[in-house]
Amino acid sequence: MAISRDDIDGFISLERGEVDRRIFSDDEIFELEMEQIFGRAWLFLCHESQIPDPGDFFQSVMGRDNVLVVRQHDGGVRAMLNTCPHRGNAVCRAEEGNARSFLCTYHGWSFGIDGTLKGVPGFKNFYGGELDKSEHGLPPVAQVTSYKGFVFGTHDPTAPPLEEYLGTTGRLGLDLLACRGDMEVVPGIQKFVLDCNWKFAVDNLFDWYHPQLTHASAFVPSVRRAMSGRVAAPSADAPLIDMSGVEQQDGSELELATAAISNTAFDNVVVIGEYGHAIGGPTAASRGNEELPPGWRAAAGVADVLGPAGKDVAGHPNIFPTSWITTTMQLSLRIPRTRSITEIWWFSFVPRELPPEFRKLVVRIQNHVFGPAGLLEQEDGENWNQSTLQTRGLASRRTKHHLLMGLGRGKVIKEHGLARIETLTNEHAQLWTYHAWAQWMKGLDWAELRAATTPPDVL
Amino acid sequence: MVRQFEVERFYTREAALLDDRRFEEWLELFSEDTNYFMPIRRTRLAKELDREFTRRGEMAFFDDDKALMRARVDKLRTGRAWAEDPPSRTRRIVTNVDVVDVVDAGTELTVRSNFLLYRTRLDSEEDTWIGSRIDTLRPGGEPGVFRISARTILLEQTVLLARNLSNFF
Repeated sequence: MAISRDDIDGFISLERGEVDRRIFSDDEIFELEMEQIFGRAWLFLCHESQIPDPGDFFQSVMGRDNVLVVRQHDGGVRAMLNTCPHRGNAVCRAEEGNARSFLCTYHGWSFGIDGTLKGVPGFKNFYGGELDKSEHGLPPVAQVTSYKGFVFGTHDPTAPPLEEYLGTTGRLGLDLLACRGDMEVVPGIQKFVLDCNWKFAVDNLFDWYHPQLTHASAFVPSVRRAMSGRVAAPSADAPLIDMSGVEQQDGSELELATAAISNTAFDNVVVIGEYGHAIGGPTAASRGNEELPPGWRAAAGVADVLGPAGKDVAGHPNIFPTSWITTTMQLSLRIPRTRSITEIWWFSFVPRELPPEFRKLVVRIQNHVFGPAGLLEQEDGENWNQSTLQTRGLASRRTKHHLLMGLGRGKVIKEHGLARIETLTNEHAQLWTYHAWAQWMKGLDWAELRAATTPPDVL
Repeated sequence: MVRQFEVERFYTREAALLDDRRFEEWLELFSEDTNYFMPIRRTRLAKELDREFTRRGEMAFFDDDKALMRARVDKLRTGRAWAEDPPSRTRRIVTNVDVVDVVDAGTELTVRSNFLLYRTRLDSEEDTWIGSRIDTLRPGGEPGVFRISARTILLEQTVLLARNLSNFF
């Protein structure tokens, strides 16, 4: 049964704030996502600092394609599919490393680090010298470009250039990390497998409603202190969330520690952009001195890059579809494997110029906040897994998910090239992501897609 | 031979503390200056196996001091550590215990062991980890008492095939 554009429009309602649970559980929808989203979008592959020298490679993923990102002799970066054009075997099985050439260990075809076919066993005696080597290199990724060291690729040769695809929202999202210093990736990409649909892992990054409860066990003072090496004393006027009527299973009232989620006020700013990029979370003012490295926003030139509307944005950017940039200077990829399996990759960044002691603190925080043993992220997988499981029941799936918080009250201010909503804790960015998801899934051309994901005046 | 028996019995009792969720008593087995480290393992070419594991100071799954280990236990005891409520059920098997080095006239032992950790949770979740540990043990005042002053846990997995590491190794 083919999925029509009408079906897709029926899955998401921007007006009613509704999401149909089928989008998390249908194999057919997953296949369409692979084609319409992961077959076309610019996807983050790796950071240039991971592959400094010629022949350095990092194996990344685009949809279900394994991709080799390789530093070239001329200093450039190329990406090609990790599949021998002869019979399809992978030409590299390591996650990362350095190679002078890639050898297919099936029959021995070998390729240069630029993907060109160099040698074919029996070229003269078996092929009679008639194989055109220039036509049988490793298939290149259609387009590969870096933005400030962040390497992206797309399978679609007609996709707009990366900078245009990112737009002001996506560029601000990356700038919020790139502006903190001369960034390099700390060796070691944490990779783990979650049994959830990838979209739960994506929309949750905008969800500033869940931390105080989901992560309540990590916000008790002793854990916070050990996690970050520092903890600001909860300020007396830190706002509390109205918990009236919220009872625990034993009937007692649920009390949360004062300022359970840091001292963050509820002042939020949400930025929404074309193609589905978004940034959601607290304002820089309400995060106070929590950011790493402290005071980075005041450094020379930063305000100019972030711009007048961007300089107060301190929430979580998502480069549509799956690249989350955190306030801990990390980039997390949510890689769909099946409709109910998602692989999470954590890239952790530090500014090269950071003093060693401070670098140690940053790495400590990066090691222990997110990731599978992360004091925060341990609990997330539980939520997303259960949410995924409950999209399968015949009756359960008739109940739509709702994103009603602030619905219809988000006045979109369009200034300085950004579309932002100044608000409190909200569900605007999640809803925007699902709206964009639906537009991508309809198979619109790039101009139509851009038009369909142009921010409205109210969300 | 006596030392071998003492070390093996120490590990047997340590495993029981964890399986019985007696985390506070388990913490006491570690010295205050301990380091609890599980590096990230990466699939590398054979010629680059020296870079298979990340090193201290790089990214890891665990790189804890005692304060952080204590925080993990505090977290489990808040009553709001939802990934462990309902709790997982674990069983640990520790084998191949080998005292590979005795340093400073016996004030520190380097011990390698292998482990199998089986974890199940709710009705159908299952994880199995097999790996090795390299411990530095400091013999205490009385026979059979040790403090773990460093533990390195090496998993056989590269991509971690589990949704979290809410337990100890």
